[in-house]
Amino acid sequence: MKKVLMGNEAVAYSLFINGVNVAVGYPGTPSTEVIETLKNFHDDDFYVEWSTNEKVALEIAAGASLAGARTVATMKQVGLNVAADPLLSLSVVGVEGGLIVFVADDPGPHSSQTEQDTRNFARFCNLPVFDPSSPEEAFELIKPAFEISEKYKIPVLFRMTTRVCHSNQSIEFELKREKRKIKGFEKKPDWVILPALSYIKHMELEQKLQDMKKELSAYNRIEGRGKIGIVTGGVSYFYVKEAIKGFEDLFSILKITVAHPLDEGFILEFAKDKEMLIFIEELDPVLEEEVKLILFENGKFIPIYGKRNSYVQFAGELDVDKVRDIFYKVLSDKRFLKKNTFGDVLQIPKRQAQLCAGCPHRSSFLIVKYAAKGQDVIFTGDIGCYTLGFAKPISTTDTCLCMGASITMAQGFKIADGSKKVIAFIGDSTFFHSGITGLVNSYYNRHNITVCILDNLTTGMTGFQPHPGTGKKIYGEEGRKVSIESLVKGIGIEKILVIDPYSDFTENVDKVREFLNNDQLGVIVFRRECANLKSRESYFKINQNCLKCRVCLKVTGCPAIDEDENGNIFIDSALCNSCGLCKNFCRYSAIEKVMVK
Amino acid sequence: MNDIIIAGIGGQGNILLSRVVCQLFMNKGFDVKSAENIGMSQRGGSVVSYIRAGDDVGPIVPDGKADILIGLEMSEAARNVNKVNKDSLIVLNDRFVRPKNSDLKKQQILRFFEENFPKLNIINAHDIAFKLNMPKAENITMLTLICKEEILPFSKEEILIALKQVLSPKMYEMNKILVEKIYERY
Repeated sequence: MKKVLMGNEAVAYSLFINGVNVAVGYPGTPSTEVIETLKNFHDDDFYVEWSTNEKVALEIAAGASLAGARTVATMKQVGLNVAADPLLSLSVVGVEGGLIVFVADDPGPHSSQTEQDTRNFARFCNLPVFDPSSPEEAFELIKPAFEISEKYKIPVLFRMTTRVCHSNQSIEFELKREKRKIKGFEKKPDWVILPALSYIKHMELEQKLQDMKKELSAYNRIEGRGKIGIVTGGVSYFYVKEAIKGFEDLFSILKITVAHPLDEGFILEFAKDKEMLIFIEELDPVLEEEVKLILFENGKFIPIYGKRNSYVQFAGELDVDKVRDIFYKVLSDKRFLKKNTFGDVLQIPKRQAQLCAGCPHRSSFLIVKYAAKGQDVIFTGDIGCYTLGFAKPISTTDTCLCMGASITMAQGFKIADGSKKVIAFIGDSTFFHSGITGLVNSYYNRHNITVCILDNLTTGMTGFQPHPGTGKKIYGEEGRKVSIESLVKGIGIEKILVIDPYSDFTENVDKVREFLNNDQLGVIVFRRECANLKSRESYFKINQNCLKCRVCLKVTGCPAIDEDENGNIFIDSALCNSCGLCKNFCRYSAIEKVMVK
Repeated sequence: MNDIIIAGIGGQGNILLSRVVCQLFMNKGFDVKSAENIGMSQRGGSVVSYIRAGDDVGPIVPDGKADILIGLEMSEAARNVNKVNKDSLIVLNDRFVRPKNSDLKKQQILRFFEENFPKLNIINAHDIAFKLNMPKAENITMLTLICKEEILPFSKEEILIALKQVLSPKMYEMNKILVEKIYERY
């Protein structure tokens, strides 16, 4: 059949076809759709779950692999940092059933706190890394990735970037699953990584990498015969192909699909008759550094243009136009000059990222902000939709570092700047991901902070995945529900308040103000389901009582409220999610509810 | 007709529309590629999809190369004019959601498009979707009107086939009624 598949979907289809037995992951853009797609497949030897975090996921995958199962653990680049501990050990310990660590990098970045390059992680961990250029290529590479993993008993990194993960392509394939028998766990001393064994296995790992070089090199290829050599990989390969259209004779391309380890012979073969090499890659200069090293070690010196001499940008994504610019800069060839466009004619201001209309977090943030008014407060934030608490006019998020850090950083502030009140915000999924350990620490070490858990009963940012607090498993079937309140009580924290951010605003502000009064460790759970999960029964509109005071607009910053050219305030009926928050701030009864027919 | 841009704001169904357009082109025998910006651009943020037919192309449409620009929202369409040229076909939904903290005006954007693009079409998908009591179906309303007015070469039957391939059965039934109504009444 022929189907339009997103890169992540293509990976999922191919994983299933190639007999993956266990698929685990934690949602994170742009990686989420691999598990989201895999959950649509069913077989008696296939299991899929959303795990509590990436470390948990990879350790489950490791166990299943040692028992002989083909497994995949999925995550985004920052998730790989969380899973780094098991990954670095697992590279030494080795695997049994094929194990793919699927990692989505985010050049740009579009929705991440870092732009880190997983190819560097591959060098760091001594692991092979596949780096496909398109959904179709990703589809084709899953099979060899499993085979390499099984042949060399090593985890394989499968790295894609946003523009491969989230691009779609029509792909022709047959949906037929390769059935494999899982042989079961066999006890061996190899699986217990004592220091003495680790030393021996480290040498083995280095040897494995040497051994697989030639085999992996078969996935890299040389195109064209021009004297100007371009070394590229990932999605940049297509930017290069398009940028050189019409001038193909000038160039030859070394398309790197397996970025680590590189085979010296193949690189030298490509470089031997080149006048220069231009490196077109996103993020870190991984290919540039590796190839340069090989050339140097073999006494070959030719001009090199890349990131290290500022011809290619270190940060952000590339595209066809940027690649043409690079060729123009390197070759001073006017044929690569960009055409004029409409760019400067009309400047459209950026749309500021903001919480959705009707988001319960907007109300929760405002309740805390009003309750803390007049006090010197530091608000620490975390990773999720609610990171947008930093945006004006909410402005209730002063820091954001990584998953779980709101709770732990708050303790740091308390230690170093104790005169201030510190309030940490964290979402429900993130709390389970890595907030719990921080909370245990605050109890144990007597750090008196207030932790606000913004529980919208889902993982909102990545598309509504379930988590332990929802009690639902990946298919919506019953798991066991972990109660946030019981967990907090179980640590020993007694001061707990549960609030519905949609209920009476003034009353909520009073409750929170009282809660903040004594400086004790306490947890407030704001609980209300994500506005996007509920179908809308009503919306609000502005009536003739409006005196254009703009308070509703100024206080809430709700994207559904705006003013027209005459200064008239209106609520966009298509955007309003009917939370009614704005009504609390209108003194003239100018906001009224309209039921949807 | 190789490169298409669909621009709008989060919540308008941009991504789904791009899926349907891909399917329409694929059903006509094209190999398609597409890309989109999703993630932190939540409801209300800028969303843009690129759809491309052809070999050896990446997912991003180069500047000035788009043949068609479909704007679900006008200022988002204007944001992406870098991607089109004077000969490009422009289809705008008559819908303006002002980027906050700007004094941008709808007339300003309309004038810009009128002055620069001879092939400009304005379509009232927002109001029609609202009148048909399906405000969330602005995307498919837009597509249906574009095809009905023969701006894009797809028949009603072809739209329904593509919708059936892309949507869940429940969503398909709702959208089928929408498409039928639009062909009957508008």
